[in-house]
Amino acid sequence: MSVETVESAGPRPKKGVSILFGLTLLGLLLALWLALGVSTQAFWTPNNISNLLRQGAMTAILAVGQTFVIITAGIDLSVGAVVGFTSVIVAWLLAAGVPLWLAIIATLAIGVLIGAFHAFGIVRMGLPPFIITLATLTSLRGIGLLITNGSTISITHDAFTTFSRADFLGVPSLFWMVIVVAIPAFVFLHLSRFGRYLFAVGSNREAARLSGVNVDRTIYLAYILSSTCAAFVGLLLASRIGIGNATQAEGWELQAIASSVIGGTSLFGAVGSVHGPLLGAFILATINNGANLLNVNSFWQRIITGLLIIVIVYFDQLRRRGAR
Amino acid sequence: MIGLQEVSHRHDDQVRAAGSHPVPKGEPILELRGLQKNYGAVEALKPANMTFLSGEVHAIVGENGAGKSTLIKLLTGVIARSAGEVRWCGETVELATPNEAIARGINAVHQEVVLCPHLSVAANMFLGDEMSRRGVMRKRAMTDAAQGVLDDLGFNLPANAELGSLTIGQQQLVATARAAMRGTQFLIFDEPTAYLTRQESAQLFRLIRRLQSEGVTIVYISHRLEEVFELADRVSVLRDGTHVGTRAISETNETELIALMINRSIEQIYHKEHFERGETIVETRGLSGPGFREISLSVRAGEIVGLYGLIGAGRSEFALGLYGRNPVSGGEIFWQGRKTAIANERDAMELGIALAPESRRDQGLCLNLPIGLNINLPVFKRLTRGLTINRAEEASNADRQIRDLNIKTPSRRVLASAMSGGNQQKIVIGRWLSHGAKLFIFDEPTVGVDVGTKAEIYRLFARLLENGAGIILISSYLPEVYELADRLHVFRQGRLVASHDYRGASHEEVLAQAINA
Repeated sequence: MSVETVESAGPRPKKGVSILFGLTLLGLLLALWLALGVSTQAFWTPNNISNLLRQGAMTAILAVGQTFVIITAGIDLSVGAVVGFTSVIVAWLLAAGVPLWLAIIATLAIGVLIGAFHAFGIVRMGLPPFIITLATLTSLRGIGLLITNGSTISITHDAFTTFSRADFLGVPSLFWMVIVVAIPAFVFLHLSRFGRYLFAVGSNREAARLSGVNVDRTIYLAYILSSTCAAFVGLLLASRIGIGNATQAEGWELQAIASSVIGGTSLFGAVGSVHGPLLGAFILATINNGANLLNVNSFWQRIITGLLIIVIVYFDQLRRRGAR
Repeated sequence: MIGLQEVSHRHDDQVRAAGSHPVPKGEPILELRGLQKNYGAVEALKPANMTFLSGEVHAIVGENGAGKSTLIKLLTGVIARSAGEVRWCGETVELATPNEAIARGINAVHQEVVLCPHLSVAANMFLGDEMSRRGVMRKRAMTDAAQGVLDDLGFNLPANAELGSLTIGQQQLVATARAAMRGTQFLIFDEPTAYLTRQESAQLFRLIRRLQSEGVTIVYISHRLEEVFELADRVSVLRDGTHVGTRAISETNETELIALMINRSIEQIYHKEHFERGETIVETRGLSGPGFREISLSVRAGEIVGLYGLIGAGRSEFALGLYGRNPVSGGEIFWQGRKTAIANERDAMELGIALAPESRRDQGLCLNLPIGLNINLPVFKRLTRGLTINRAEEASNADRQIRDLNIKTPSRRVLASAMSGGNQQKIVIGRWLSHGAKLFIFDEPTVGVDVGTKAEIYRLFARLLENGAGIILISSYLPEVYELADRLHVFRQGRLVASHDYRGASHEEVLAQAINA
């Protein structure tokens, strides 16, 4: 009886708040689009929208992978380097005459291996995620430069390079790739038990372990997914620019982390979603796109992005405190 | 011998600067008039009128959720009141921030120590108020001064040790000494002995009496009524956010206090039923591992096996070894008569072992996740259909435990951190009830749990036994294991040193065996 009387009065359930936050972000994105549509004529052109969707796509995929890791209270600093490295690998394989399908599978497999190595360092060697992924960040760039001898490898495979410029049903194929990643990611994180385990491990590793969660396997899963997403982005990038170059995607790891955090992921772990980082990535892409259209100095873009991170995360914190 | 209040003269100036003046012993120092706190429509503290007298030890008892924590937070400036007035030394005060409370001389020592584990004891004692000369910290002087205070209190702790290397009990003593040094006139203890050994509790009690003799007013919050009767001059009872009464300690007794707190008698709390003992569920022979050596014991269906000892005697370590959390280095485990190796927690769960661990915060719960997820954590595999979780079953499974165990929450989606100690313990228990097990290990299941919930937990034990399960009950609170265990094993320094049948030895004997007196 007493339980029912509390029902109406207690704190608001968490799920409703999370949907509300998602809607706020969506509202922010739409507001940005409306404002840019009013202030520039170039914004709402099919060309520019396609461009925007392409720009945001790669960060969005990286951010989804990054989010899995951050939910376990970890961090993956290597994703930008993995993108550059795998662009070299796929270019190298294609130049060596490896069939396209095999080159793609091999490149993704390398992503899996890199993630497994990160998890190995964390689980078996006891290294902090920050350190092990920082180490691979610099090493992978080095290996990529060694392979290419510091230069770039051109990709002459036409089917591969036209893909990223193609449209399907009027929408850029790169954006379709976001959907291809996001749907299984959503099922994985929000609907499967492995998603629950990610949250549990991020919240309290020991409690998860004593409740029978295979903590080590969960950490392997998170880092493998992140690196595989990065390898996938490496393929997309190679397709888009038509070369393999180890120095590409410099700083993308920070873009991915920023997108994830703007999307409501907590760096302390156990809080996050799939739709949040997607919105975050496209908000960032919109700001860059809009700044270009408005002729804002590109240095300002960086400053605005930084301020935006502060503002959004600050309001997110306020909201969380309020919900308690 | 120096008085604690004299250690740092600057603090006396601070206190005086804050406008307070000494109140003669026995006169009201702090008065609450209609003090009230609402969270939305929930009344955490209904309008309370209470008076604290200068120089007294005033105990506050009540179940979890009775409003004790709310009261402390109001008095220490952590949360803002909804209505009412607080009078400090005769004048109305706001107590809007923790700093204001501390500046006026109101301070609290919390159950869970909130100091910096990586700094030294001395650095912690002076934290935020370091001695310095021309901008350079006087580390040596601070260490010496801190050591002086510690020695003077008879704590036998090195001031230059890293705080994190001390036991929780010792850390609590440091926190107390810290508060005592800061010109505190009004010191609140929130369940200070929950994690303390007997010796540490005794030291703490000496310190409290000493502070009292120096004129400090003490508010002492505890679940342990025997401590209340040992220490307090007066006791106030809270129930469901209402202040139901204040008694002079000499004019009341345990029975009356419990009646005020819960309307239930003491006999009903240690609910004990005896059942036919069945087959042996588990037997260890000479089991050794980190923290325990050569433990041989067995648990049969329908019985409670109690493990008693001081903190650190190896009982929890034994439980973690048996559960596969820590590797065992020697000995054998027989499960229902068959020799078994338990390599990890999942092996243990598969056999049918459930563990409600010692620390709910560190080992038991994912605090910033919903109650439902915490309950379902071990059974997500069972709830999975194909690739995804069956959400309807997930919800009904959690709701069933919430209903059956009477977990007081508006929804399974509320975060576990929002629950009181007793309700949190029920979440951990609900997790294992929904998973099912043959052998339940309860490690300190009633620490920080209110009397009402305690009684519920003991009744639940009887229900589990009735259904043919066996229980290992680990407790540092002798009356609990003594009244409940069909077989009581005493641990000391990692070894099993004595075994008794139900009420087979006196309290004194068991205690002597535990401390090797």
